[in-house]
Amino acid sequence: MKKTINFILNGEPVEHAVDTNKTLLKMLREDFDLTGTKEGCGAGECGACTVIMDGKAVNSCLVLAVESEGKDILTIEGLTVNGELDPLQTSFVENAALQCGYCTPGMIMTAKAMLNENPNPSLDEIKEGISGNLCRCTGYKKIIEAIHSVAEQNNS
Amino acid sequence: MNSVEYYSPTSLKEALNLLAAYGEEASILNGGTDLIVRMREGQSKPKVIVDIKKIDELHKIEIEDNYVFIGACVHLNDLGKHQYIIEKYPFLAKAALSIGSNQVRNRATCIGNICNASPLADTATPLLSLNADVHIYSENGLRTVPLNQFFVFVRKTILKQDEIVTGISFEDDDSILGVFYKMSRRKEVDLSTVCSTVIKSNKGYFVSYGAVAPTPVRLYKTESFLNENTLSQETIKEACMIASQEVSPISDIRATEKYRREIVEVTLQNSLLEWL
Repeated sequence: MKKTINFILNGEPVEHAVDTNKTLLKMLREDFDLTGTKEGCGAGECGACTVIMDGKAVNSCLVLAVESEGKDILTIEGLTVNGELDPLQTSFVENAALQCGYCTPGMIMTAKAMLNENPNPSLDEIKEGISGNLCRCTGYKKIIEAIHSVAEQNNS
Repeated sequence: MNSVEYYSPTSLKEALNLLAAYGEEASILNGGTDLIVRMREGQSKPKVIVDIKKIDELHKIEIEDNYVFIGACVHLNDLGKHQYIIEKYPFLAKAALSIGSNQVRNRATCIGNICNASPLADTATPLLSLNADVHIYSENGLRTVPLNQFFVFVRKTILKQDEIVTGISFEDDDSILGVFYKMSRRKEVDLSTVCSTVIKSNKGYFVSYGAVAPTPVRLYKTESFLNENTLSQETIKEACMIASQEVSPISDIRATEKYRREIVEVTLQNSLLEWL
């Protein structure tokens, strides 16, 4: 069963007929080929599928695609504008805040929403802010440093 | 996930009509953080989904006529970060923000937490101790049910198939002081091993616990004892003994029965010591 929905995807208005039982995560990956958003647990525990919906970080595995009607969806692909990486993406590269990279898009989208809400988070606020995102290789130190360095740039 | 028909009514009336038309085949979709996981795992197989989030009136937090009203679609983050709630009912804000991750709280709702009727629902204990009323809407109109009569068993409430919870309310009382505890294995993004809210107000003590019985529960014996005695080191000790016997926990993956009874003693003691 399909339903036609209208929403904003990475800044562009989209009209799309989507299966009513498909999650936002599956729609992004399968229908739009936006495979930056990852599936980890599929149950809202790991944060790998985090995207920004109307300015808020959400787990796209816990949202039905049809619920995107009228919403503004931003994925990791939408952070790069005209080939320019977002400061968070650059900072993750510069701080080597990744190993396998699977959690990185979710981690960056969570950080993006956090910095939009609070441009100057403390280290503890950053730790709490990313507590819904699991990384199984690096540990969190470099990730926290990468986010913190963007926060410091914001405030300099 | 099985195939579903999706509806997003914009009025309560329309939503009720859909629930009446599809009966057992329909599920209400609110935040979705439980329903979508259950659908994915095949534990819930609704044929029809009635998404209530397009009903504007369900999104409000209202403070008027000496009552606080939390609408059905108010997200946990919106509740936990609401200025009035933070100032006057910090234990409720704390409970709301103790659930899941930030991403989950941006979708999950307080009312969803209540309607799922998990024994360890984190927002249930503050609302039980606040003597909250559940507002239930059906074709017969609106009825209110005290929250302590709403839960029936694990994941079971008195709610009927053709009813919608529109929100929950409690008396706005300046004399209320409360303490919320959540004991869990890790600091963030975990389920409660035991959770509790103890309230002291002009009307007396109100003690509620989660994850110690098939539903979140009020500890009436403990409350009576506290209301009949003056708070002291000795009475606190005795109240803790009564509470640890009044609960009926089980052993499960998160803790043993014995550990839970001890945690009840510790958290009640720590809560009451705030007022000694």
